[in-house]
Amino acid sequence: MKEARGGMWMKYVGAFGLLLLLVGSYIGLFVAPAERHMGDVARIMYVHVPTAWVAMVCYTIAFGLAIVSLWKETAVSDARMTGAIETGVVLNGLLLLQGMIWGRPTWGVWWDWDVRLTTSLVMFLLFAGVLALRSFVDDARRRAAWSAVATIVAFVDVPLVYFCVRWWRSLHQVQSTPSTVDPMMVIPLRINAFAVLFVALWMIHMRKRIELARRKREETDLPERLAVQEGEANA
Amino acid sequence: MPEGVIYGGWSFVIAAYAITATGLTVYAWSLFFRLRRLREEE
Repeated sequence: MKEARGGMWMKYVGAFGLLLLLVGSYIGLFVAPAERHMGDVARIMYVHVPTAWVAMVCYTIAFGLAIVSLWKETAVSDARMTGAIETGVVLNGLLLLQGMIWGRPTWGVWWDWDVRLTTSLVMFLLFAGVLALRSFVDDARRRAAWSAVATIVAFVDVPLVYFCVRWWRSLHQVQSTPSTVDPMMVIPLRINAFAVLFVALWMIHMRKRIELARRKREETDLPERLAVQEGEANA
Repeated sequence: MPEGVIYGGWSFVIAAYAITATGLTVYAWSLFFRLRRLREEE
């Protein structure tokens, strides 16, 4: 009952996120001023920056849930962690594509082995690797433990992605603050940040439900699978 | 025209927004589809 009510709330959170995304993107595309040097191309910022923020939020949620999963060994924490990782990987993939599209008119290249781009690609590959690892392990408890450890290891790259532009010389600009940009640029940026966050929370919730249903099916099929294995061993 | 300023580029902006919308829509659809398939198998 509690879970069903939570699920209904998440549906509204996702729908509200979608609505905010439409409003924020409209303001970003048609109301916000063009940037002084990059002109209209800078409007990519209103989807690129929120996607980046929320991808990192998803990975941070996954990191916290990995610790909980190792500590408490509950199916729910493992399922939520999987949801956060998969949503993070989707957003991370979109982030890389948006960055490449922005890079072409501003830097003259689709891709550069710059520190921010490289660490972002490594972050994508590491967490996609965690998802691949999960698909190779049949035993649910072992799968949860191994993927939790892999998530904790992969998370090392997340602060590197955020701080690398301050620590090393990079083509990518350092983080702006509201005091350094036009207020009409801050509004769509904030709206879309919350929008992508709400949509991502709904995606995490949906993916958690899929994982729990899969686990339930595995447990139902377990006696059948064990009988088949026993039969093969005796033959 | 002053130097160091980018003019135009709307095609890049449209491409970035279109890819984002497509990516989010396809993933949301895959979530619905996978959950429905599991429910049907139960």
